[in-house]
Amino acid sequence: MSGVNFLEFILIAVVLLLVGVPLFSKFPPRRLFAPLDMETEEYKHLLVRKEEILLAIKEVEFDLKTDKMSDDDFQIVRKKLEDEALSVMERIDQLEKELKKKPASGSADIA
Amino acid sequence: MNELGEFALMMALATALYGIAGYVMAIRQNRVDLYFSADRTPLIVWGCVMVSSVALWKAFITDDFSLQYVWAYSNRDLDIFYKISSFWGGQKGSLLFWTLLLTTYMMVVHVQNRKRDLRVVPIAMVVMLVITLFFLFLLNFSTKPFEVIPVPPEDGRGLNPLLQNYWMVIHPPTLYLGYVGFTVPFAFAVAALLTRNLDDGWIRMTRKWTLISWFFLCMGNLFGAQWAYVELGWGGYWAWDPVENAAFMPLMVATAYLHSVMIQEKKDMMKVWNMALILLTYVMTIFGTFITRSGLIQSVHTFDEATLGYFFLAFLGVIVLFCVGLILKRLPLLKSKNELDSFLSRESSFLFNNLVLLGIAFATFWGTIFPIISEAVRGVKITVGPPFYNQVNVPIGLVLLALIGIGPIIAWRRATWSNLKKNFAKPVLAGVVGGAVLFPMVPLTDKAEILSYVAFVLCIFVMATILIEFWKGAAARQSLHQESVPASYSNLVWKNKRRYGGYIVHIGVVFIFAGIAGSQAYSVDIEKHLKIGEKITLGGYDLTLEKVIWIKANETKERLIAQLAVEKDGVRIWTGKPEKEFYKGQNQPVSEVDLRSTLKEDLYLILADYRGEQFDPVTNTMATISDGEATIKAHVMPMVAWIWMGGWTIALGTVVAAWPDRAEARRRLERLKRMEGVFAPAQQE
Repeated sequence: MSGVNFLEFILIAVVLLLVGVPLFSKFPPRRLFAPLDMETEEYKHLLVRKEEILLAIKEVEFDLKTDKMSDDDFQIVRKKLEDEALSVMERIDQLEKELKKKPASGSADIA
Repeated sequence: MNELGEFALMMALATALYGIAGYVMAIRQNRVDLYFSADRTPLIVWGCVMVSSVALWKAFITDDFSLQYVWAYSNRDLDIFYKISSFWGGQKGSLLFWTLLLTTYMMVVHVQNRKRDLRVVPIAMVVMLVITLFFLFLLNFSTKPFEVIPVPPEDGRGLNPLLQNYWMVIHPPTLYLGYVGFTVPFAFAVAALLTRNLDDGWIRMTRKWTLISWFFLCMGNLFGAQWAYVELGWGGYWAWDPVENAAFMPLMVATAYLHSVMIQEKKDMMKVWNMALILLTYVMTIFGTFITRSGLIQSVHTFDEATLGYFFLAFLGVIVLFCVGLILKRLPLLKSKNELDSFLSRESSFLFNNLVLLGIAFATFWGTIFPIISEAVRGVKITVGPPFYNQVNVPIGLVLLALIGIGPIIAWRRATWSNLKKNFAKPVLAGVVGGAVLFPMVPLTDKAEILSYVAFVLCIFVMATILIEFWKGAAARQSLHQESVPASYSNLVWKNKRRYGGYIVHIGVVFIFAGIAGSQAYSVDIEKHLKIGEKITLGGYDLTLEKVIWIKANETKERLIAQLAVEKDGVRIWTGKPEKEFYKGQNQPVSEVDLRSTLKEDLYLILADYRGEQFDPVTNTMATISDGEATIKAHVMPMVAWIWMGGWTIALGTVVAAWPDRAEARRRLERLKRMEGVFAPAQQE
C-alpha cells in the first residue's frame, strides 16, 4: 500500500468512525423535536419583547433628555410603552402558569 | 498529497450528502442515533476541505507543476507570499478557497450553536450543507483543482503580474469572508421560515454574523478599490466595472437590512421586509459570483469559464424560486400587528434609507445586466459605463448622505416638530457656515463640481449631527449619572455599543463621501513626453525627469524606473519613481504607479511610455541611460486618502458595535433562568 493510499484509507476510516459511532451507540428513546407549540413560542417571544420594551422606555427617556422629544410626546410614548409592557408581563405570567401545567417535552434531553 | 487532496474533496462531498440526508431523515423519523451521526458532518466536511486546501497550498509552495492549476498560476521565482495567495488567483483555487471559508463558517456556527435552539440550528446546518454540496459538486466534477499534467513542465506560467500586489493578497479573502459570511444569516432565515420559528430569534442568533459579514464585504470593496488604485495605473479607484458592481450590490442590500432589522427588534414589525432583504443579500452574493465566474461579462477581474456560469445560473434560479416560494407560503405568519407610531420618527427615516439603498442597488444591477439584455434582445452589446452610474447613483447617494445626518436627530417612535427644528438648527448652521467658507475656495464650473460642493456641505452637516449626538449624549449622562466628562463619553459608547459604534461607522462613511467628492471633481492630470532634465508642472508641483533606470529584479522580472524630482515652491519634497515591470512570458509590461499621499491630495505618477536602451546584461546591475526618455502621466487627486481613512474608521466602528455586550448577556441569562422554571434546558433559546 503506497503512502497516499494509506492516507486515503486513514481518512475513510476516520470519517466512518466519526459518523458511525453514534449509529452503534445506545440512546434512550426520546423525541428529537417536540411539535411546534404556539404557546411556548409566544412565551419565548414575549420574554424578549418585554426586554425590548423596557429598553425602549430607557431610550425615550434618553431622547427626552437629549431634546429629541417634547414632554407631551414623551408622555404619550411612555404611556404606550408602559401599557404594552404591562400587557406583555400579564400575558407572560398567564403563559407561565399554563406551560407549567403541560407535560415536559421530549426535546429536553438532547443537547 | 495531491491524490489525498482530490480524495478529501470527494469524501467531503459524500459526507455533505450523508449529512443532509441524515439530518432530514433523523428529524422526520425521530432517529436520535442518526441525528447525532449527521450532527458530526459539518465538522467532518470542514476537515476534509481543509485537508484538500492544505494539499493545494503544499503543491504551490513545493512548486509541484504536475498540477495544471499550480503550473498556470505559479512559477519557481514567485515570492512565497504570492505562492500562498496564488491559491485563490484562478477559478479552481478560488472556488476551493470559497468552499474552505464556507465550511469554516459552518463549523464555527455549528460549534457555537450546538446547544441552542434545536429546531432552527439543524435546519440551518442542512441549508449550509446543501450550499456546500453545490460548491463541492463543482470542485469534484467541473472545476477540479487537482487536475494533473501527464508530463510535468520544469516551470510554471507564473501568477498574473497584476495580482502580484499585497492588496490582491488581502482583497479576495476579505471580500470572500463577506460574501460567504452572508450564508449564515441566509441559512438561519431559511431555517426560521421552514420551521415556522418566525420571531426574531434567528435575527439575534445571526446579528453578529451579519455585522461581521457586512464589515468584510465593506472592507473587501475598499481593499479592491485600493488595489485598482495602486496597481491598475489608470488614475482611479472605482470604475463601475461589473465585478466591482457585483460586490457593491450585496453591500447596499445588506446595509439596508442592518438598519431595518433594528425596527423589527424594537417594534416587532417589518418581518417580511427583513426576511426578503437578507434573502436578497445572499441572492446578490451568488449573482455576483455568477457574474465573476460565468465568462458572461469581460472584466479585469473575471474568470472566463462559460460552463461554470450555467451551474451558477441554475443555482441562482433555484435559490430565487425557493426563497420567493417560501416567503409567500409563510406570509400569514410573517404579518405584524404593530404599526409605526408616527410618520415623523427614526423608523420612517430608516425606511426611507432602505428605499434609497435599494435604489442604488437596483440602478447598479440594471447597469450591470443591461449589456447582457441588450445583446440578447437586439443582438447589440451596449456598454454601460461610469457616466450612467454617476448620473443615477450620485444624486441618490447624496440623498443617502443627508439621511445619515437626519436619522440621529429624529427620535425613535415619535419625534416632535419643534424639537426637530431645534435639533436641526446647529448642524444646518454648521453646513451653511461650512458651505459659505468653501464657496470661494472650490471651483463651481460644471455639474461634477457643483455636486461635489453639495456633498461637502452635506458632509459637514452630517458630521455636525453625529458630533452633537456624542456631545448631547455625554451631557445627558453627566447630569443623569453625575459622571465626569471623560467617563460620560466612554460610558456613552460602551453602554450603547450598537448605537455609537454605528455612529462611528457613519463618520467613516462621511470620510468616504468627502474623499470621493474631492477626488472626482477636482482632480487634474497631465501626460507629457519628457527627456532627461525636462519638467512638467501640475497642481503646484514641478516634476523633473532625472533619469530612466533598468533593473533586473530577478530571473523573471525586469524593472524600468523613471526617477522624477518633485518640487513645490522651489523646494524638493519627494522623489517619484513610477515604473514598468516586465515579466518573463508576459507580452505586456505592468505599470507600477508611485504616489505621494497626504490628507490634502495624492500626487499619482505613472510611467506611461518609455524610450531608451536595454539594461546592460554584462554588469546585470542598475544602469542609468543618459539619453533615456519617458512619457509621464501625472494626476493630482484631492482627498483620496480620506476614502481609506473612512475605511479604517468603519472598521473601528464595527469593532465597537460588534463587541460583546455584557448587559445583553446578562439579560439573556436572566431570561434563561426564568425559562428554567418552565421548560427543560433544551427547549430554551
